Amino acid sequence: MFGLFRGYAYIMADSDGRVEEPAPLPDYSEDGVDLTLIRWMLSLTPAERLQFLEEWADDMLANRELNARG
Amino acid sequence: MPEGRLFSALRALAESGVEFIVVGGVAAVLNGAPIATYDVDLVYSRRPANIEALAGVLARMDAVFRAQPERRLQPAASHLAAGGHLNLLTRYGPLDLLGTIGRSLGYEELRSHSAEFEIGGGVRVCVLDLETLIEVKEQLGGEKDIAVLPVLRRTLSEIRKPRTSQK
Repeated sequence: MFGLFRGYAYIMADSDGRVEEPAPLPDYSEDGVDLTLIRWMLSLTPAERLQFLEEWADDMLANRELNARG
Repeated sequence: MPEGRLFSALRALAESGVEFIVVGGVAAVLNGAPIATYDVDLVYSRRPANIEALAGVLARMDAVFRAQPERRLQPAASHLAAGGHLNLLTRYGPLDLLGTIGRSLGYEELRSHSAEFEIGGGVRVCVLDLETLIEVKEQLGGEKDIAVLPVLRRTLSEIRKPRTSQK
């Protein structure tokens, strides 16, 4: 599998050269908000959203600690 | 589910029967907004019985004022009754207790603008709705509040769109 950028469209082709449908462009609002991220969050339950936030925060804090140690 | 710090803090408060509403960043996330936050912001009822219950659970959570954590100053019932903003540090991380938010909106005013969410393990908490959260942030008008408004507004727009995949 390899990917090619052709203009703004991301084209995927397998080893036989069959080209898959281009992935849709990221869907941003006019003020720059990533709507795909919002839609993904809305696909989760509140418990899953909280769990994702917890994991993200833990990762960030761990990274910060590692960088603080040099 | 894994019991992270935010969940554990909310569970401790909910299981103690404390009347509170989740506001701020965690409320935004529970409503589906993809934003980041490290602390839990709550508006609590200032009824005497609730103050007593809250003081009890805060003691069990080893809560101290965050400004000078080395002094280990614990919040007293009188601090809670005063209704100001208490920035605390607990065994589960930062916890901000707010008597009111926005234009002096307290627990009683906000209760009808909130909904119960199940956050895992059968724990249910009251969470401020996104419409009111946006209004409050607009009222506050701080840089941090303004910065997050586009994401909150777009999340609300997406929620209002008919969508079958939303849970």
